[in-house]
Amino acid sequence: MSTETRVHDVRFTRFEGELDGEGAAIISLARWSALRSMGARRSWKVKLIPIALTLIAFAPAIVVLGLRALFSTRVQINIETALPYRDYAGMIGLVITLFAAVTTPELLCPDRRDRVLTLYFSTALTRGQYVFGKVLAAIVPLLLLTLVPMWFLYAGNVLFAVHPVGYVQDHAADALRITVSGIALAAWFGLVGLAVASLTGRRAFAVGGYLALITVPTIIGGTLASATGTFKLELLGFPVAPLNLVEALYPDYQADLSPAWWVGDYFLVVAASLALVIWRYRTVDV
Amino acid sequence: MTEPIVEAAGVTKSFGAVEALRDVSVSMTDRAIGLLGANGAGKSTLMRVMLGLVRPDAGSIRVLGLDAARQSWDVHRRLGYMPEHDCLPLGMTAADFVVHMAELRGLPHRTAVLRGSEVLFHVGLEEERSRLISTFSVGMRQRTNLAQAIVHSPRLVILDEPTNGLDPAGRDEMLHLVRRLSTELGISVIMSSHVLEDIARTCESVVVLREGQVAVTRPIETEGRDAPVSLHVRVSGEIAAFTAAIGRRGASVEDAGEDVLVISGPEPGGLPDAVRDAAAESGAGLREMRPAGPSLEDSLLEAMT
Repeated sequence: MSTETRVHDVRFTRFEGELDGEGAAIISLARWSALRSMGARRSWKVKLIPIALTLIAFAPAIVVLGLRALFSTRVQINIETALPYRDYAGMIGLVITLFAAVTTPELLCPDRRDRVLTLYFSTALTRGQYVFGKVLAAIVPLLLLTLVPMWFLYAGNVLFAVHPVGYVQDHAADALRITVSGIALAAWFGLVGLAVASLTGRRAFAVGGYLALITVPTIIGGTLASATGTFKLELLGFPVAPLNLVEALYPDYQADLSPAWWVGDYFLVVAASLALVIWRYRTVDV
Repeated sequence: MTEPIVEAAGVTKSFGAVEALRDVSVSMTDRAIGLLGANGAGKSTLMRVMLGLVRPDAGSIRVLGLDAARQSWDVHRRLGYMPEHDCLPLGMTAADFVVHMAELRGLPHRTAVLRGSEVLFHVGLEEERSRLISTFSVGMRQRTNLAQAIVHSPRLVILDEPTNGLDPAGRDEMLHLVRRLSTELGISVIMSSHVLEDIARTCESVVVLREGQVAVTRPIETEGRDAPVSLHVRVSGEIAAFTAAIGRRGASVEDAGEDVLVISGPEPGGLPDAVRDAAAESGAGLREMRPAGPSLEDSLLEAMT
C-alpha cells in the first residue's frame, strides 16, 4: 500500500475536449429560452399563467374524454360530434393568443433590456443563429397548446373506438391535418409575437402591442365586412387567418371566402413577421 | 518566433464623421497585453473589431491566426469577452447564466455544469452562485462577467475596462484575478483601461492608443521593473559629505540644481543600496530617490496626450 499522499487542485482545469457544433448552440439557446418563457427556475407567479393556459387548452379534450370514460354505459357520447377536430383550435383560439402574448416577449425583451446580446453575438452565436433559436423557442412551447391537446384527443378517440386499428386507418388524414394545423398555428402566433417583441425591450409594451395587434384588426375586419357585405374585407382581420386556414384543412369547409385567400393572408403575415425579426436583429446595435 | 495573438494591418474604422481607428497596425505577442488610452481613443472599437462585431472599413485583423471578419465563428470559439458595460441577464442566477454561456460556446451540458461551478469558485462566487444576478453588487456582477468569459477555457480573453465602477478593494481583487489568468491559468489576456496602474499590474506589454492611432507599443517589464541605470536623489544636510561618500562607492554624481543630484553607477542593481549607505555614512537626509529620466507613467502619459 502506498503511503504517499498528494493533493491535486482540480478546481480549475482547462477543457480539452471537443466542442459541440453550431446546431447544439442553437438548440441550447432555444431550450433555455423556452424553459424560461414558461417560468422554469423562476417564481411560481411567473409559472402560473403559462401552466394555467396550457391546462385550459387541454380542458375540452379532458372533459369530453372524461365524460366518455365515466358515463359511457349510461349516455352515448359521440366524441367526434361533441368535439370535432376542426373546431378545437377555434375553441382555444383565445387561450393560444394569451399564451403567445405572455411567452414570446419573454424570449426577446429581457435580452435587449439587459444588453445580453453583446455577449451572445461576440463569442457565442451569429445573429441568424440567435433568431433561429428564438423562433424555435417561440414555436415549440406553443405546440403544447396547438398540437398536443389535439393529439391527446385523437389518442382518446383511438382508445375508445370499437376497433382502434380501424379508427387509425380511417382517420389517418385527420392525424396529418392535426399535425399540420398545430404547427401552422404555433408558427403564426409565435412569429407574430416575436415580431412585436423585437420592437421593444419593455415586456409590458410587447404584451400590450401583441394583444392590440390581434384584437383590433379582427374587430375592424369583421365589422367592416358585415357592414358592407364585402367579405374580402374580412382579410383585414388577419389574426383570424390561421384559424380559418385550419378549418379549411378539413372536409366540408364552408365560408364566404375561398381558402386560397386565407392561405395567402397566412403566409403574408408569417413572412412579414419573420422578415421584421430578421431585420431587427441584423441591424440591432450591440 | 512566437505567433502573434492579434495582428492588425492598416485597420481603419469610421462611424459617420468620427474616425474611431486610423490605419492601426500592431502585432501583439505577449501573454498579457494592455490597451491604454483616454476615453474615445479607440480601445473599445479595436476590441470590437477583434471580436468581429465591427467590420473595419479598411485593413484586416487576425486573432489567434484567424481572420476575425471571415472566420468569426472559429474565432469566437477560442475567445472570451468581458464587455465594459453591464450586460448580464438580471433574472438569472449566476450559475445558470455561466452554464448557459458555456453551452452556447459548444460545451456539452454536463461539462458546462462542472466548469460553471469551477469558474464561479475561481472568481470567488461559490457561495452566491444560486442568487439572482439582480441582487448582486457591482463587484459581484463584474466577477460573474469574468466567469462567463473564461468558462469555456478560451485561448484568449478580451477584457474591456474590467475594473470600471469597482471600489478599491473590488478593483484590487479583479486585478489579481486578471493577473492569474495569464500567469497561472495559461489564458492570454488583452485588457483595456484608461488607468495605467491597472495595466502595469496585470500586463507584460502595453499598446497606447491616441485618437484612433497606435501612439506607443512597449513592454512593461523593462520599463517598470528593471533596476534603474541612474537615480534622481534629493538630500538635505551634509551634501558635500554625501557626494564624497557616494563617490567612494564608484558612482558618479551630477548636480541637477535645486538640491537634486543625478547619480549613475557602474552596477545599476546596487545603486539604491549605495545611495542609502552613503546617506547613512555622511549623515545626510535622504528626501527623495527615484529612477532618473521619464518614468513609465511619464512616457505613457506623454504618448496618450
